[in-house]
Amino acid sequence: MAERPTAQIMINRAVFAGLALLLVFMQLLPLETVPGSWAAPDFLLACTLVWVSRRPDYLPVLVIALIFFLTDLLYQRPPGLWTALVLILTEVLRTRARSIRDIPLALEWGVVAIGILVITLTNHLALAIVMTQQAPLGLTLIQMVMTIAVYPVVLIVAHYAFGVTRPAPGQTNNFGHRL
Amino acid sequence: MAREKQSEDYVGPIRRLLVGLLVLALMGTFIIWRIDSTRVERFRAAVIDRVVPSFEWAMAPVTGIVNLVGDFQSYQQLAEQNGDLRRELQQMKAWKEAALQLEQENAKLLSLNNVQIDPELTYVTGVVLTDSGSPFRQSVLLNVGARDGIIDGWPTMDGIGLVGRIAGVGQETSRVILLTDTSSRIPVTIQPSGQRAILTGDNTLNPPIEFLENADLVRPGDRVVTSGDGGVFPADLQVGKVALGNDRRLRVRLSADYGRLEFLRVLRAQPHEVIHDPGGLLVPEGGVIIPQQPEEETAVAVEASDG
Repeated sequence: MAERPTAQIMINRAVFAGLALLLVFMQLLPLETVPGSWAAPDFLLACTLVWVSRRPDYLPVLVIALIFFLTDLLYQRPPGLWTALVLILTEVLRTRARSIRDIPLALEWGVVAIGILVITLTNHLALAIVMTQQAPLGLTLIQMVMTIAVYPVVLIVAHYAFGVTRPAPGQTNNFGHRL
Repeated sequence: MAREKQSEDYVGPIRRLLVGLLVLALMGTFIIWRIDSTRVERFRAAVIDRVVPSFEWAMAPVTGIVNLVGDFQSYQQLAEQNGDLRRELQQMKAWKEAALQLEQENAKLLSLNNVQIDPELTYVTGVVLTDSGSPFRQSVLLNVGARDGIIDGWPTMDGIGLVGRIAGVGQETSRVILLTDTSSRIPVTIQPSGQRAILTGDNTLNPPIEFLENADLVRPGDRVVTSGDGGVFPADLQVGKVALGNDRRLRVRLSADYGRLEFLRVLRAQPHEVIHDPGGLLVPEGGVIIPQQPEEETAVAVEASDG
Protein backbone atom coordinates (compact mmCIF):
# COMPACT_ATOMS: atom_id res chain seq x y z
CA MET A 1 0.00 0.00 0.00
CA ALA A 2 2.84 2.36 0.74
CA GLU A 3 4.47 1.98 -2.64
CA ARG A 4 3.10 3.72 -5.69
CA PRO A 5 0.68 1.44 -7.50
CA THR A 6 1.80 0.17 -10.87
CA ALA A 7 0.14 1.29 -14.07
CA GLN A 8 -1.54 -2.09 -14.41
CA ILE A 9 -3.19 -1.77 -11.03
CA MET A 10 -4.33 1.76 -11.79
CA ILE A 11 -5.91 0.57 -15.04
CA ASN A 12 -7.71 -2.22 -13.22
CA ARG A 13 -8.98 0.21 -10.61
CA ALA A 14 -10.33 2.42 -13.35
CA VAL A 15 -11.96 -0.61 -14.98
CA PHE A 16 -13.74 -1.45 -11.75
CA ALA A 17 -14.91 2.11 -11.21
CA GLY A 18 -16.21 2.24 -14.78
CA LEU A 19 -18.00 -1.08 -14.37
CA ALA A 20 -19.58 0.09 -11.13
CA LEU A 21 -20.83 3.31 -12.72
CA LEU A 22 -22.25 1.31 -15.63
CA LEU A 23 -24.14 -0.96 -13.19
CA VAL A 24 -25.52 2.08 -11.33
CA PHE A 25 -26.56 3.60 -14.64
CA MET A 26 -28.36 0.43 -15.72
CA GLN A 27 -30.19 0.30 -12.41
CA LEU A 28 -31.34 3.89 -12.74
CA LEU A 29 -32.87 3.55 -16.21
CA PRO A 30 -36.58 4.20 -15.85
CA LEU A 31 -37.61 0.76 -17.04
CA GLU A 32 -39.20 -0.69 -13.94
CA THR A 33 -41.76 1.67 -12.57
CA VAL A 34 -44.08 -1.24 -11.77
CA PRO A 35 -43.32 -2.95 -8.47
CA GLY A 36 -42.34 -6.54 -9.17
CA SER A 37 -42.86 -9.66 -7.11
CA TRP A 38 -39.18 -10.50 -7.11
CA ALA A 39 -35.95 -8.57 -6.85
CA ALA A 40 -33.00 -8.73 -9.21
CA PRO A 41 -29.60 -9.57 -7.69
CA ASP A 42 -27.39 -6.79 -6.43
CA PHE A 43 -24.72 -7.03 -9.12
CA LEU A 44 -22.67 -4.20 -7.67
CA LEU A 45 -22.27 -6.04 -4.36
CA ALA A 46 -21.46 -9.32 -6.13
CA CYS A 47 -18.79 -7.63 -8.29
CA THR A 48 -17.25 -5.88 -5.31
CA LEU A 49 -16.99 -9.14 -3.38
CA VAL A 50 -15.51 -11.01 -6.34
CA TRP A 51 -12.90 -8.31 -6.84
CA VAL A 52 -12.03 -8.01 -3.19
CA SER A 53 -11.64 -11.72 -2.58
CA ARG A 54 -9.64 -12.25 -5.79
CA ARG A 55 -7.61 -9.10 -6.27
CA PRO A 56 -7.96 -6.77 -3.27
CA ASP A 57 -5.20 -4.57 -4.68
CA TYR A 58 -7.50 -3.56 -7.57
CA LEU A 59 -10.06 -2.18 -5.18
CA PRO A 60 -9.04 0.52 -2.68
CA VAL A 61 -11.27 1.13 0.32
CA LEU A 62 -12.01 4.68 -0.70
CA VAL A 63 -13.41 3.60 -4.08
CA ILE A 64 -15.78 1.12 -2.40
CA ALA A 65 -16.88 3.76 0.10
CA LEU A 66 -17.50 6.39 -2.58
CA ILE A 67 -19.42 4.12 -4.92
CA PHE A 68 -21.62 2.60 -2.26
CA PHE A 69 -22.31 5.94 -0.62
CA LEU A 70 -23.35 7.29 -4.01
CA THR A 71 -25.74 4.37 -4.52
CA ASP A 72 -27.10 4.91 -0.99
CA LEU A 73 -27.99 8.43 -2.01
CA LEU A 74 -29.28 7.56 -5.48
CA TYR A 75 -31.37 4.53 -4.51
CA GLN A 76 -33.13 6.28 -1.62
CA ARG A 77 -31.55 4.07 1.01
CA PRO A 78 -30.72 5.39 4.47
CA PRO A 79 -27.33 6.98 3.73
CA GLY A 80 -24.25 5.42 5.28
CA LEU A 81 -25.51 2.24 6.89
CA TRP A 82 -25.27 -0.12 3.93
CA THR A 83 -21.95 1.44 2.88
CA ALA A 84 -20.50 0.88 6.34
CA LEU A 85 -21.65 -2.76 6.37
CA VAL A 86 -20.22 -3.42 2.92
CA LEU A 87 -16.94 -1.79 3.98
CA ILE A 88 -16.70 -4.02 7.04
CA LEU A 89 -17.41 -7.13 4.95
CA THR A 90 -14.84 -6.19 2.31
CA GLU A 91 -12.25 -5.48 5.00
CA VAL A 92 -12.85 -8.89 6.55
CA LEU A 93 -12.49 -10.54 3.13
CA ARG A 94 -9.44 -8.43 2.32
CA THR A 95 -7.54 -9.50 5.40
CA ARG A 96 -8.39 -13.11 4.59
CA ALA A 97 -7.70 -12.77 0.86
CA ARG A 98 -4.50 -14.82 1.15
CA SER A 99 -6.19 -17.72 2.88
CA ILE A 100 -9.23 -17.52 0.59
CA ARG A 101 -6.82 -17.92 -2.31
CA ASP A 102 -5.97 -21.46 -1.26
CA ILE A 103 -9.46 -22.82 -0.62
CA PRO A 104 -11.73 -24.46 -3.24
CA LEU A 105 -14.39 -22.42 -5.00
CA ALA A 106 -17.32 -23.96 -3.11
CA LEU A 107 -15.80 -22.95 0.22
CA GLU A 108 -15.06 -19.44 -0.99
CA TRP A 109 -18.65 -19.17 -2.17
CA GLY A 110 -19.80 -20.32 1.26
CA VAL A 111 -17.69 -17.70 3.04
CA VAL A 112 -19.03 -14.93 0.80
CA ALA A 113 -22.60 -16.21 1.19
CA ILE A 114 -22.31 -16.07 4.98
CA GLY A 115 -20.90 -12.55 4.66
CA ILE A 116 -23.81 -11.37 2.49
CA LEU A 117 -26.31 -13.03 4.84
CA VAL A 118 -24.80 -11.36 7.88
CA ILE A 119 -24.71 -7.84 6.43
CA THR A 120 -28.24 -8.15 4.99
CA LEU A 121 -29.69 -9.25 8.30
CA THR A 122 -27.67 -6.65 10.23
CA ASN A 123 -28.97 -3.97 7.89
CA HIS A 124 -32.55 -5.11 8.38
CA LEU A 125 -32.10 -5.33 12.14
CA ALA A 126 -30.45 -1.91 12.40
CA LEU A 127 -33.29 -0.32 10.42
CA ALA A 128 -35.81 -2.09 12.64
CA ILE A 129 -34.05 -0.81 15.78
CA VAL A 130 -34.13 2.82 14.67
CA MET A 131 -37.68 2.27 13.42
CA THR A 132 -37.41 3.44 9.82
CA GLN A 133 -39.68 2.49 6.97
CA GLN A 134 -38.14 -0.49 5.31
CA ALA A 135 -38.56 -2.91 2.48
CA PRO A 136 -40.54 -6.10 3.04
CA LEU A 137 -38.30 -8.83 4.46
CA GLY A 138 -39.37 -11.34 1.81
CA LEU A 139 -38.15 -9.16 -1.02
CA THR A 140 -34.87 -8.48 0.82
CA LEU A 141 -34.29 -12.20 1.26
CA ILE A 142 -35.07 -12.88 -2.41
CA GLN A 143 -32.51 -10.29 -3.43
CA MET A 144 -29.96 -11.72 -1.01
CA VAL A 145 -30.39 -15.27 -2.34
CA MET A 146 -30.19 -14.00 -5.93
CA THR A 147 -26.98 -12.11 -5.15
CA ILE A 148 -25.43 -15.20 -3.58
CA ALA A 149 -26.57 -17.33 -6.53
CA VAL A 150 -25.10 -14.93 -9.06
CA TYR A 151 -21.70 -14.77 -7.34
CA PRO A 152 -20.04 -17.66 -9.28
CA VAL A 153 -21.35 -16.26 -12.57
CA VAL A 154 -19.89 -12.84 -11.84
CA LEU A 155 -16.68 -14.59 -10.79
CA ILE A 156 -16.38 -16.39 -14.12
CA VAL A 157 -17.14 -13.23 -16.10
CA ALA A 158 -14.62 -11.27 -14.03
CA HIS A 159 -12.03 -14.01 -14.58
CA TYR A 160 -12.34 -14.15 -18.35
CA ALA A 161 -13.49 -10.66 -19.28
CA PHE A 162 -11.63 -8.50 -16.80
CA GLY A 163 -8.71 -10.72 -15.88
CA VAL A 164 -9.48 -10.78 -12.19
CA THR A 165 -7.57 -13.93 -11.37
CA ARG A 166 -6.12 -15.19 -8.16
CA PRO A 167 -2.46 -14.31 -8.08
CA ALA A 168 -0.38 -17.49 -8.35
CA PRO A 169 1.54 -18.41 -5.18
CA GLY A 170 4.76 -16.48 -5.16
CA GLN A 171 3.68 -14.06 -7.89
CA THR A 172 5.20 -10.65 -7.44
CA ASN A 173 4.37 -7.20 -8.67
CA ASN A 174 6.76 -4.90 -10.53
CA PHE A 175 8.49 -3.92 -7.30
CA GLY A 176 9.21 -7.52 -6.40
CA HIS A 177 6.72 -7.54 -3.54
CA ARG A 178 4.63 -10.63 -3.05
CA LEU A 179 0.93 -10.30 -3.82
CA MET B 1 11.63 -9.21 2.38
CA ALA B 2 12.69 -7.53 5.58
CA ARG B 3 11.82 -4.12 4.20
CA GLU B 4 8.40 -5.25 3.09
CA LYS B 5 7.65 -6.71 6.47
CA GLN B 6 8.68 -3.52 8.16
CA SER B 7 6.60 -1.35 5.88
CA GLU B 8 3.57 -3.59 6.35
CA ASP B 9 3.87 -3.38 10.11
CA TYR B 10 4.06 0.35 9.80
CA VAL B 11 1.21 0.77 7.31
CA GLY B 12 -1.16 -1.90 8.65
CA PRO B 13 -2.36 -0.26 11.88
CA ILE B 14 -2.70 3.20 10.32
CA ARG B 15 -4.70 1.78 7.47
CA ARG B 16 -6.90 -0.10 9.91
CA LEU B 17 -7.37 3.08 11.90
CA LEU B 18 -8.37 5.07 8.81
CA VAL B 19 -10.81 2.40 7.67
CA GLY B 20 -12.27 2.33 11.17
CA LEU B 21 -12.70 6.09 11.09
CA LEU B 22 -14.36 5.84 7.68
CA VAL B 23 -16.82 3.24 8.96
CA LEU B 24 -17.53 5.39 12.01
CA ALA B 25 -18.10 8.43 9.80
CA LEU B 26 -20.58 6.45 7.68
CA MET B 27 -22.42 5.21 10.75
CA GLY B 28 -22.45 8.80 11.97
CA THR B 29 -24.05 9.90 8.71
CA PHE B 30 -26.73 7.27 9.17
CA ILE B 31 -27.43 8.41 12.73
CA ILE B 32 -27.51 12.07 11.71
CA TRP B 33 -29.92 11.13 8.93
CA ARG B 34 -32.13 9.41 11.47
CA ILE B 35 -32.10 12.40 13.82
CA ASP B 36 -32.29 15.25 11.35
CA SER B 37 -33.44 13.70 8.12
CA THR B 38 -34.54 16.89 6.36
CA ARG B 39 -31.02 18.27 6.20
CA VAL B 40 -29.52 15.01 4.93
CA GLU B 41 -32.38 14.58 2.46
CA ARG B 42 -31.62 18.05 1.14
CA PHE B 43 -28.01 16.96 0.70
CA ARG B 44 -29.26 13.84 -1.10
CA ALA B 45 -31.40 15.97 -3.41
CA ALA B 46 -28.39 18.17 -4.15
CA VAL B 47 -26.20 15.15 -4.99
CA ILE B 48 -28.88 13.66 -7.25
CA ASP B 49 -29.30 17.05 -8.85
CA ARG B 50 -25.60 17.05 -9.70
CA VAL B 51 -25.22 13.41 -10.76
CA VAL B 52 -28.34 12.40 -12.65
CA PRO B 53 -28.60 15.19 -15.25
CA SER B 54 -25.05 14.32 -16.32
CA PHE B 55 -26.33 10.84 -17.19
CA GLU B 56 -29.30 12.21 -19.07
CA TRP B 57 -27.75 12.26 -22.55
CA ALA B 58 -27.11 8.53 -22.31
CA MET B 59 -30.30 7.59 -20.53
CA ALA B 60 -32.79 8.68 -23.16
CA PRO B 61 -31.36 6.60 -26.06
CA VAL B 62 -30.75 3.48 -23.95
CA THR B 63 -34.26 3.60 -22.49
CA GLY B 64 -35.61 4.18 -25.98
CA ILE B 65 -33.80 1.15 -27.38
CA VAL B 66 -34.90 -1.13 -24.56
CA ASN B 67 -38.50 0.01 -24.95
CA LEU B 68 -38.20 -0.53 -28.70
CA VAL B 69 -37.20 -4.14 -28.12
CA GLY B 70 -40.14 -4.54 -25.75
CA ASP B 71 -42.48 -3.05 -28.36
CA PHE B 72 -41.04 -5.34 -31.03
CA GLN B 73 -42.01 -8.37 -28.97
CA SER B 74 -45.53 -7.05 -28.77
CA TYR B 75 -45.71 -6.70 -32.58
CA GLN B 76 -45.90 -10.47 -32.73
CA GLN B 77 -49.41 -10.33 -31.37
CA LEU B 78 -50.26 -7.49 -33.72
CA ALA B 79 -53.21 -9.06 -35.52
CA GLU B 80 -54.83 -10.15 -32.31
CA GLN B 81 -54.26 -6.76 -30.77
CA ASN B 82 -55.73 -5.07 -33.82
CA GLY B 83 -58.98 -7.01 -33.48
CA ASP B 84 -59.20 -6.13 -29.80
CA LEU B 85 -58.58 -2.48 -30.53
CA ARG B 86 -61.30 -2.39 -33.21
CA ARG B 87 -63.81 -3.88 -30.80
CA GLU B 88 -62.76 -1.42 -28.11
CA LEU B 89 -63.05 1.44 -30.59
CA GLN B 90 -66.66 0.53 -31.31
CA GLN B 91 -67.45 0.68 -27.62
CA MET B 92 -65.50 3.90 -27.25
CA LYS B 93 -67.54 5.58 -29.97
CA ALA B 94 -70.69 4.97 -27.96
CA TRP B 95 -68.97 6.35 -24.88
CA LYS B 96 -67.68 9.35 -26.78
CA GLU B 97 -71.22 10.22 -27.80
CA ALA B 98 -72.33 9.95 -24.18
CA ALA B 99 -69.37 12.01 -23.00
CA LEU B 100 -70.05 14.78 -25.48
CA GLN B 101 -73.64 15.00 -24.40
CA LEU B 102 -72.63 15.05 -20.76
CA GLU B 103 -70.02 17.71 -21.44
CA GLN B 104 -72.58 19.94 -23.06
CA GLU B 105 -75.00 19.36 -20.23
CA ASN B 106 -72.28 20.06 -17.70
CA ALA B 107 -71.27 23.28 -19.41
CA LYS B 108 -74.89 24.38 -19.47
CA LEU B 109 -75.39 23.62 -15.79
CA LEU B 110 -72.12 25.30 -14.84
CA SER B 111 -73.06 28.46 -16.68
CA LEU B 112 -76.53 28.34 -15.11
CA ASN B 113 -74.98 28.15 -11.66
CA ASN B 114 -72.24 30.64 -12.50
CA VAL B 115 -69.58 28.25 -11.15
CA GLN B 116 -65.94 29.29 -11.32
CA ILE B 117 -63.52 26.42 -11.82
CA ASP B 118 -60.49 27.01 -9.62
CA PRO B 119 -57.91 28.70 -11.90
CA GLU B 120 -55.13 27.86 -9.47
CA LEU B 121 -55.16 24.18 -10.41
CA THR B 122 -52.60 24.50 -13.16
CA TYR B 123 -49.74 22.10 -13.76
CA VAL B 124 -46.12 21.73 -14.77
CA THR B 125 -45.23 18.78 -16.99
CA GLY B 126 -41.98 16.92 -16.40
CA VAL B 127 -40.16 14.03 -18.05
CA VAL B 128 -39.24 10.94 -16.02
CA LEU B 129 -35.45 10.74 -15.79
CA THR B 130 -34.87 7.65 -13.68
CA ASP B 131 -36.70 5.20 -11.47
CA SER B 132 -35.67 4.52 -7.89
CA GLY B 133 -33.04 1.99 -8.97
CA SER B 134 -33.98 -0.51 -6.29
CA PRO B 135 -36.88 -2.96 -6.13
CA PHE B 136 -37.71 -1.81 -2.61
CA ARG B 137 -38.48 1.80 -3.37
CA GLN B 138 -41.11 3.00 -5.81
CA SER B 139 -40.25 6.47 -6.96
CA VAL B 140 -39.24 8.32 -10.11
CA LEU B 141 -37.13 11.37 -10.72
CA LEU B 142 -38.53 14.22 -12.83
CA ASN B 143 -36.54 16.81 -14.74
CA VAL B 144 -38.34 19.74 -13.12
CA GLY B 145 -37.31 21.18 -9.79
CA ALA B 146 -37.15 24.25 -7.61
CA ARG B 147 -36.12 26.20 -10.74
CA ASP B 148 -39.59 25.50 -12.16
CA GLY B 149 -41.32 26.37 -8.92
CA ILE B 150 -41.95 22.81 -7.76
CA ILE B 151 -42.71 22.53 -4.04
CA ASP B 152 -42.62 19.47 -1.78
CA GLY B 153 -45.95 17.74 -1.40
CA TRP B 154 -47.56 18.64 -4.71
CA PRO B 155 -49.58 15.84 -6.32
CA THR B 156 -48.40 14.28 -9.56
CA MET B 157 -50.59 12.73 -12.23
CA ASP B 158 -50.17 11.17 -15.60
CA GLY B 159 -52.90 12.10 -18.11
CA ILE B 160 -55.54 10.13 -16.26
CA GLY B 161 -54.93 9.32 -12.64
CA LEU B 162 -52.91 10.22 -9.60
CA VAL B 163 -49.36 8.83 -9.64
CA GLY B 164 -47.79 10.09 -6.44
CA ARG B 165 -46.54 13.14 -4.63
CA ILE B 166 -43.39 15.21 -4.74
CA ALA B 167 -40.95 14.33 -1.97
CA GLY B 168 -37.55 15.89 -2.35
CA VAL B 169 -36.89 18.84 -4.64
CA GLY B 170 -33.50 19.70 -6.10
CA GLN B 171 -32.62 22.66 -8.25
CA GLU B 172 -33.28 20.84 -11.53
CA THR B 173 -34.84 17.55 -10.44
CA SER B 174 -37.54 16.41 -8.09
CA ARG B 175 -38.51 12.99 -6.78
CA VAL B 176 -42.02 11.59 -6.96
CA ILE B 177 -42.91 8.97 -4.37
CA LEU B 178 -45.36 6.69 -6.19
CA LEU B 179 -48.60 5.50 -4.61
CA THR B 180 -47.13 1.99 -4.62
CA ASP B 181 -44.20 2.89 -2.34
CA THR B 182 -44.32 1.49 1.18
CA SER B 183 -44.17 4.98 2.66
CA SER B 184 -47.08 6.37 0.65
CA ARG B 185 -50.33 7.15 2.52
CA ILE B 186 -53.08 9.04 0.71
CA PRO B 187 -56.49 9.99 2.12
CA VAL B 188 -59.16 8.90 -0.35
CA THR B 189 -62.92 8.89 -0.73
CA ILE B 190 -64.72 5.97 -2.31
CA GLN B 191 -67.60 6.99 -4.55
CA PRO B 192 -70.57 6.59 -4.60
CA SER B 193 -70.79 5.58 -0.94
CA GLY B 194 -68.60 8.51 0.15
CA GLN B 195 -66.58 6.40 2.58
CA ARG B 196 -63.25 7.85 3.69
CA ALA B 197 -60.18 5.63 3.78
CA ILE B 198 -56.40 5.67 3.49
CA LEU B 199 -54.65 4.26 0.44
CA THR B 200 -51.55 2.51 1.77
CA GLY B 201 -48.69 1.66 -0.56
CA ASP B 202 -47.21 -1.80 0.06
CA ASN B 203 -44.83 -2.27 -2.87
CA THR B 204 -47.43 -4.03 -5.01
CA LEU B 205 -49.13 -2.65 -8.11
CA ASN B 206 -52.55 -2.56 -6.42
CA PRO B 207 -52.24 -0.82 -3.05
CA PRO B 208 -54.74 -1.84 -0.33
CA ILE B 209 -57.37 0.41 1.24
CA GLU B 210 -57.10 0.76 4.98
CA PHE B 211 -59.05 2.37 7.81
CA LEU B 212 -62.31 1.84 5.98
CA GLU B 213 -65.27 2.35 8.27
CA ASN B 214 -67.80 0.11 6.64
CA ALA B 215 -66.46 -2.31 4.08
CA ASP B 216 -69.96 -3.54 3.23
CA LEU B 217 -70.78 -0.31 1.47
CA VAL B 218 -67.83 -0.66 -0.88
CA ARG B 219 -67.91 -2.94 -3.87
CA PRO B 220 -65.32 -3.74 -6.49
CA GLY B 221 -65.62 -1.25 -9.33
CA ASP B 222 -66.34 1.77 -7.13
CA ARG B 223 -64.40 4.89 -8.01
CA VAL B 224 -61.61 6.04 -5.72
CA VAL B 225 -60.73 9.75 -5.63
CA THR B 226 -58.58 11.81 -3.28
CA SER B 227 -60.52 13.26 -0.39
CA GLY B 228 -58.47 16.35 0.33
CA ASP B 229 -58.42 15.48 4.03
CA GLY B 230 -55.59 16.97 6.01
CA GLY B 231 -54.84 19.44 3.26
CA VAL B 232 -52.36 17.03 1.69
CA PHE B 233 -53.94 16.92 -1.74
CA PRO B 234 -56.70 18.78 -3.50
CA ALA B 235 -59.94 16.82 -3.42
CA ASP B 236 -61.42 14.78 -6.27
CA LEU B 237 -58.31 13.74 -8.17
CA GLN B 238 -58.96 10.38 -9.77
CA VAL B 239 -56.97 7.53 -8.24
CA GLY B 240 -58.51 4.34 -9.54
CA LYS B 241 -61.15 1.68 -8.99
CA VAL B 242 -61.76 -0.68 -6.10
CA ALA B 243 -60.85 -4.30 -6.75
CA LEU B 244 -60.88 -7.38 -4.55
CA GLY B 245 -57.36 -8.80 -4.18
CA ASN B 246 -56.42 -12.47 -4.05
CA ASP B 247 -56.00 -12.08 -0.29
CA ARG B 248 -59.65 -10.89 0.04
CA ARG B 249 -58.48 -7.38 0.85
CA LEU B 250 -59.94 -4.36 -0.88
CA ARG B 251 -57.32 -2.93 -3.17
CA VAL B 252 -57.22 -0.15 -5.73
CA ARG B 253 -56.61 -0.73 -9.40
CA LEU B 254 -54.77 2.50 -10.20
CA SER B 255 -55.94 4.53 -13.19
CA ALA B 256 -52.47 5.81 -13.99
CA ASP B 257 -50.47 3.59 -16.33
CA TYR B 258 -47.58 2.62 -14.10
CA GLY B 259 -46.04 0.51 -16.84
CA ARG B 260 -45.25 3.60 -18.88
CA LEU B 261 -44.50 6.61 -16.80
CA GLU B 262 -42.86 9.00 -19.24
CA PHE B 263 -44.44 12.40 -18.78
CA LEU B 264 -45.97 13.43 -15.49
CA ARG B 265 -47.99 16.48 -14.54
CA VAL B 266 -47.18 18.15 -11.27
CA LEU B 267 -50.30 19.99 -10.09
CA ARG B 268 -49.77 23.36 -8.45
CA ALA B 269 -51.79 22.59 -5.37
CA GLN B 270 -52.51 25.66 -3.31
CA PRO B 271 -52.55 25.33 0.44
CA HIS B 272 -55.99 25.24 1.99
CA GLU B 273 -57.20 28.30 3.72
CA VAL B 274 -56.88 27.65 7.42
CA ILE B 275 -59.38 29.07 9.85
CA HIS B 276 -57.53 29.71 13.11
CA ASP B 277 -60.14 31.60 15.01
CA PRO B 278 -63.79 30.62 14.89
CA GLY B 279 -64.84 34.21 15.57
CA GLY B 280 -62.92 35.48 12.57
CA LEU B 281 -65.62 34.30 10.23
CA LEU B 282 -68.38 36.18 11.99
CA VAL B 283 -66.77 39.27 13.40
CA PRO B 284 -64.20 41.53 11.73
CA GLU B 285 -60.80 41.55 13.41
CA GLY B 286 -60.99 44.96 14.97
CA GLY B 287 -63.81 43.81 17.24
CA VAL B 288 -67.52 44.30 16.92
CA ILE B 289 -68.46 47.24 14.79
CA ILE B 290 -71.74 48.62 15.87
CA PRO B 291 -73.47 49.87 12.77
CA GLN B 292 -74.36 53.50 13.05
CA GLN B 293 -76.28 55.44 10.59
CA PRO B 294 -73.46 57.53 9.03
CA GLU B 295 -70.79 54.73 9.25
CA GLU B 296 -72.85 51.98 7.78
CA GLU B 297 -71.17 52.19 4.41
CA THR B 298 -67.67 51.75 5.85
CA ALA B 299 -68.76 48.76 7.96
CA VAL B 300 -70.19 47.10 4.90
CA ALA B 301 -66.96 47.80 3.07
CA VAL B 302 -64.92 46.12 5.83
CA GLU B 303 -67.14 43.09 5.79
CA ALA B 304 -66.96 42.83 2.04
CA SER B 305 -63.17 42.97 2.06
CA ASP B 306 -63.11 40.33 4.81
CA GLY B 307 -65.45 37.98 3.05
